Amino acid sequence: MNLNPKKWLNTLPNVNIETNQEEYKLDNQRWIDTLHKRKKDNSIQKYSLVTILFVVGLIFVSVIKNETRNLQKEIDKLEATINIIKFDLHQTTLDHEVITSPENISRLAKEYLESNLVVYKKSQIKQIGREEIFFTKPENVKIKKNLEQKTKDNKNKIKLIFAKKVETKKIELAKLKELYYKPKDIPKKLKLKITKKVKKKKNELLQLRKIYSDPKSIFASNKAQRWAAFQVVKVFLGIPIVPGK
Amino acid sequence: MKSKKKNIKQKSFFFEDYAESEIIVNNVKTNQPKVSLSRVNFLFYIFLSVIFIFGIKIIYLSLSSDKNFFSQNINQNFIKERGDILDRNGVILARNINIYDAAVRSKLVKDKKKLLINLKLIFPELNTNKIRENFSKNKFFYIKRSLTEDEYTKLWLLGSKGIEFPKRQYRIYPQKNLFSHILGQTDDSNTGISGIEKFFDKDLKSKELIDSSLVLTLDSNLQYLIREELKNAQLVFNNIGSAAILMNVKSGEILSLVSLPDYDLNQRISISDDIYANKITLGIYELGSVFKTFTLAAGLENKVISPNTIFNNLEKKITCDKYTISEHDKLPANLSAEQILIRSSNIGAVRIAQRVGIEKYKNFLNSLELFETFNLDLEKIGSSLPFRWGKCKLATASYGHGIATTPFQLARAYAILGNGGYKIEPFILKREIRFIEKGEQIISTKTSNAINLMLRKVVSFDEGTANFANIEGYEVGGKTGTSLKYNSNEKLNTFVSLFPASRPNYVLLVMLDEPKPAPNFVYEFPPSEKFPNGYKHKGEKRNTSGWNAVVVAGKIIKKIGPILAINNLQASSNF
Repeated sequence: MNLNPKKWLNTLPNVNIETNQEEYKLDNQRWIDTLHKRKKDNSIQKYSLVTILFVVGLIFVSVIKNETRNLQKEIDKLEATINIIKFDLHQTTLDHEVITSPENISRLAKEYLESNLVVYKKSQIKQIGREEIFFTKPENVKIKKNLEQKTKDNKNKIKLIFAKKVETKKIELAKLKELYYKPKDIPKKLKLKITKKVKKKKNELLQLRKIYSDPKSIFASNKAQRWAAFQVVKVFLGIPIVPGK
Repeated sequence: MKSKKKNIKQKSFFFEDYAESEIIVNNVKTNQPKVSLSRVNFLFYIFLSVIFIFGIKIIYLSLSSDKNFFSQNINQNFIKERGDILDRNGVILARNINIYDAAVRSKLVKDKKKLLINLKLIFPELNTNKIRENFSKNKFFYIKRSLTEDEYTKLWLLGSKGIEFPKRQYRIYPQKNLFSHILGQTDDSNTGISGIEKFFDKDLKSKELIDSSLVLTLDSNLQYLIREELKNAQLVFNNIGSAAILMNVKSGEILSLVSLPDYDLNQRISISDDIYANKITLGIYELGSVFKTFTLAAGLENKVISPNTIFNNLEKKITCDKYTISEHDKLPANLSAEQILIRSSNIGAVRIAQRVGIEKYKNFLNSLELFETFNLDLEKIGSSLPFRWGKCKLATASYGHGIATTPFQLARAYAILGNGGYKIEPFILKREIRFIEKGEQIISTKTSNAINLMLRKVVSFDEGTANFANIEGYEVGGKTGTSLKYNSNEKLNTFVSLFPASRPNYVLLVMLDEPKPAPNFVYEFPPSEKFPNGYKHKGEKRNTSGWNAVVVAGKIIKKIGPILAINNLQASSNF
């Protein structure tokens, strides 16, 4: 048998009884929300976080230290090279001082430089700008003109002398040409002299040709025979062949 | 916990212990690991202590910068044991370098016979018996000190473990003899034993000053040129020694100081012979007629004479006690004060000194500090011998006899006469010119100018005694001095010059010790009024300062003049 809980309730005069009940219902959450939430007990999390941080820090420090060690090595190497360079510079400057000492330089100068310097007199040195200043003055304009005239005259004189010399040479050349084309006009004396010279040269040439073609003929000559005989006699008499030995 | 769960079923609410109720956590159970807190704490503190130790170590490493933990062997610094010495232009005069010795540790030598043969080949002068003895006793011994680079490489190439190369520092003097009397020497332990090396030993060794070099006022080029001329003079005049000093008359800067004979500082020879002494600062000499300038200056300063004051009837000879004073040459009987200096008249100088009087003359010489001990940055300096003033002393002192001083003090006195009469303190250690205070004026400018003019005439006038120093363009003025050395017939010839005479900048003193006549030397007279083109002269037998010291001084001025950048006054006026 099923029981209807509302069977009797509906018989009651108060119709709004349900609503009133709802009004008096208790809300469990009503006060809870107003309370402070309790802090969670997470100490383990805290410790683990700190330790993780420490470990990370340690690793980080070691990494940084490693890096700095590498950098330190680099710096040390650079410092070492700087020191070496400094030391080299120290030595080299000393070498430089020895090489460039006045004593050494003067010795080298004596060895390699020309000591025969050309000495100029003061009058030989042209003073730049001095002429211009001198000739711009009105009282010196005449002097300048005279000087210019003199230099012109000198130039003309030199030209004339050279022109005369050229002319005389030209005349001589023309005479020689005439003689070359007209041999009959050459004087007899000159002709005889030249023929004698030609004959002499011809004889000399003939003799030389003979010696060249027959060298034994030299020994067959009277002179050579006489000389040989004379040497033989010398040997017999004990006189040295070559005089003075 | 269970009891609390039961209580939750209560319908009424309560404020006690609400935080732990399941209502608060909305019935959610937390899944916390079951680890005890004490264990976690323990681990945490272990980690903390480890990190703390590491932290301390890191801080220690980072703070201790002096120690190089990573590369101790790489960084080998060359630390100077002694500072450099430079000249005024920065030229190195002394510097320390590393040098190697060769030593043998007998214990480490495997084949001693072979090594001995090799050593004999490298060092033929080696005493083999001694080395054999050392080998037999297994001794550690030195083969050679101060190896050359060639010797070092030869020994190194032997590859023997027993050969060691102990390193040490050695002082090098690149200019060799040039500054021997000034620089002095150091011993093997790098301690100064003479000269500037000794005087500034502490400064040169001081760790604070070791990187800043000691700069001198001397000029290597001037020093070389002057030394060369003195050496050339030695060949011509056969003198046993010579000396010269060049000084700025206004500041007192010493630009050159030469004394011959000198010695190579790199040879490290112990020098005891007096001939090697510094003639300029240590030698005390009777310097002769150069003192006449002071006599004239004393007369002018005390207003007892003027340059034109005539001295009539000057005797040819004067006797004072045992001393006979005469002229060196035939001179006119009547001479003006100026002519007395130009012609270097002994009797004229005596007459002027007599007019001045003993006391005033003495005071004048004392004001020039000719006989006091002077200050210079050198460890050894001379001081003149004491003497009593009297009539005869006055007479002899007036022309520079019977009175002795150092050439250094003489040059200083001339500098004072030339610079307008202002006291100067010569120095050798370079300092800023602007910091040099102008000294007290001890001689009037008028006297100074008059003396400069007279000294110029000594050189430029035909009757003057120093014509050979009349170098065109440099307005040289000066005074000659010829004297006999004490207890000897040998001479000591001096010439002190001031140039340019119209406003002197430099004083140059040249001294020749025991010069001889030079008949084979061709003297070239400079242009004069009589001989506008000059003339040549040979066969001279006179042995006075005018015929040797002046010639040398003239040559020196001709060479150093362009370096000193003196205005070539005469040349510029001619152009």
